[in-house]
Amino acid sequence: MSLLLVGLNHKTAPVEVRERLAFTDEACSESLRVLVDGEVVREGLIVSTCNRVEVLAETNAPAAESLDRIKGFLSQARSIGHADFVKHLYSHEEERAVRHIFRVASSLDSMVVGEPQVLGQVRHAYSLALAAGTAGRVLNRLVHHAFRTAKRVRTETGIAASAVSISYMAVELGRKIFGSLKGSTVLLVGAGEMAELSAQHLVSAGAAKVMVTNRTRSTAEKLAAKFEGTVVEFSEMAKHLSSADIVICSTGAGSYVITAEMARESLGARRNRPSFFIDISVPRNVDPAIGEINNLFVFDIDDLESVIASNIREREKEAERAELIIESEVMQFQQALRAMDIGPTIGALRQKMQDIARAELERQRHRLGPLTPEQERAVESLLISTVNKISHPVMHRLRRSYDTGSEENIQAWREIFGLEE
Amino acid sequence: MKLILLMTLAAYVVAAVHYVVAFMHKRRSSERVAFMSLAAGFALHTASLATDWIEDGHYPLFGLRETFSFLAWTLAVTYLLSLVLTRYRTLALGSFTLPIVSILTFMAMVARDKTAIASSEITRSAGSTWLFPLHTTLLLFAYAAFFVVFAASVMYLVQERELRNKTFSAFFHRLPSLMTVNDIATHAAGIGFTLLTLGVLTGMLWSSERDGRLWHNDPKEIFASLTWLLYLVLILYRSTASWRGRRAAWLGVIGFALVLCTFFGARLLGSYHVFG
Repeated sequence: MSLLLVGLNHKTAPVEVRERLAFTDEACSESLRVLVDGEVVREGLIVSTCNRVEVLAETNAPAAESLDRIKGFLSQARSIGHADFVKHLYSHEEERAVRHIFRVASSLDSMVVGEPQVLGQVRHAYSLALAAGTAGRVLNRLVHHAFRTAKRVRTETGIAASAVSISYMAVELGRKIFGSLKGSTVLLVGAGEMAELSAQHLVSAGAAKVMVTNRTRSTAEKLAAKFEGTVVEFSEMAKHLSSADIVICSTGAGSYVITAEMARESLGARRNRPSFFIDISVPRNVDPAIGEINNLFVFDIDDLESVIASNIREREKEAERAELIIESEVMQFQQALRAMDIGPTIGALRQKMQDIARAELERQRHRLGPLTPEQERAVESLLISTVNKISHPVMHRLRRSYDTGSEENIQAWREIFGLEE
Repeated sequence: MKLILLMTLAAYVVAAVHYVVAFMHKRRSSERVAFMSLAAGFALHTASLATDWIEDGHYPLFGLRETFSFLAWTLAVTYLLSLVLTRYRTLALGSFTLPIVSILTFMAMVARDKTAIASSEITRSAGSTWLFPLHTTLLLFAYAAFFVVFAASVMYLVQERELRNKTFSAFFHRLPSLMTVNDIATHAAGIGFTLLTLGVLTGMLWSSERDGRLWHNDPKEIFASLTWLLYLVLILYRSTASWRGRRAAWLGVIGFALVLCTFFGARLLGSYHVFG
């Protein structure tokens, strides 16, 4: 049983190489069956995203041989010459392979540390391997442990707590102010791409209602349709301001579209319930004086950028704590892996049975009278082969429990035969 | 008695440390340990108060030592109730409260009552009616509620300031949202004010039964009235809009300063109220 991970990522390889090596889903399924030959490679998994291509394999050969095998496989599967990609590859064995896959799943190896997509991508890679039948006992274990580690990292560190993109800042600020975005109302002033992206994040975080206003009504209608929202006449925006908890402003106007006067009035109509304005337009569309008003918050593009910069620094600090979690999980996995090995259990069972047979023979030997050495051997082999025949189906079951990864069964067998003493 | 209080203190300190760790590192396992030790500390503390009551023969809320102990107990009860009865599971509040509970318990262990003789005399007269213990208990719970208002207000102000300055500290992502702390402060203020009102009324009743006077112009009484007025203003101010934010939070902080004056300051000004 030995693990090997071979791959390249955004740090080691330029995009020209990564795109040539990337696998589509169909290619991935087919190639997995080629990769896993049952001889050298017994189990396999391919993680292929825009930032990385990695082959994780459970092999039955010395590391150097397996490595050559996987290099050859990549070259063949993607029809790319050795010289074009081999220098970008990294490879990790055993514990280091485990650590690497844990770090990838926990998003510590990502371009933006803490981004949540990579876990989904690993999950997808695993489901492809399951469908292709190339994920077995060891990889099942490993991947599930990686999911568990990623979950721990997410909940126990602040690695993914803060927004690192402008479009996501609206969600972060909304959560900070309102606790939950469920049932909140969003007003999009201007129908730009960034406004759309922000609205998308807000809606998936629970925002219930989207209002869109734009100088050109048709653009507003198109955007509103995407969120089943309503269109507000640009000239009547002031009236609707009071029902919006979150306002995202991105028009090309040369002056303030939302003035302090408008904001103050809407705050009164909201009975002081706070609201916040995200202004991603340059020149600014939201009067910065609004930020001085109690219970109103304004974030312009510079504010967003500076918060994001500090969030990224914060994530890097949290990543250090995440590494400690990774270490402890790697250790746990290595222990579990050792316990998973079936060899000792089968050996112990065989030994125990034979010991019983020999002890009984010893005890009853005097009753048999004088025997020739030949007869003596025959009696002994009779006994041994009898107990072996009895224990054979048990061992067969044990191996099967082992292959399907049901440790409880193995444990049960161990207890039934008193192997724990 | 001392031993059981020492064990209580140990449990509270363990809980305090784990709440702070759980808050800083978002660690679930620490949170569980914290809750268990808080529950254990609370049980021991309750037992300690009960044995005091039986041994000394008077309600265990008299003199400085008992007041500290009882105050720590009310804070522990308040936090436990907030965990059990409300949907706010705020670690921040726990890491705010438990260190103070520990300090108060420690003070209860080291404090010595100078008024031992006077107390026994007043105890006799005080013990003549159930109004006196009711009066003190209600007030201590009111103080605990105002402490929650204070903690929530500080959390509000810190976060509001960071939102305004656009500089988010490491704490920022761990504190509950503005909406949550605003709600907590509003509810706790309502509860605290009700308890304070009842506490003052029972005090007046007791006093009039004892010597026929409702009002003694005592510094503690004056401070208590000021406190009462301030929280009345706070509640009215909060209730006239759906959200008051920063200014209401400042009132919550000032109110707690007044509570501290009532509690400690009045003693220094020579109040006839014998305990804190």
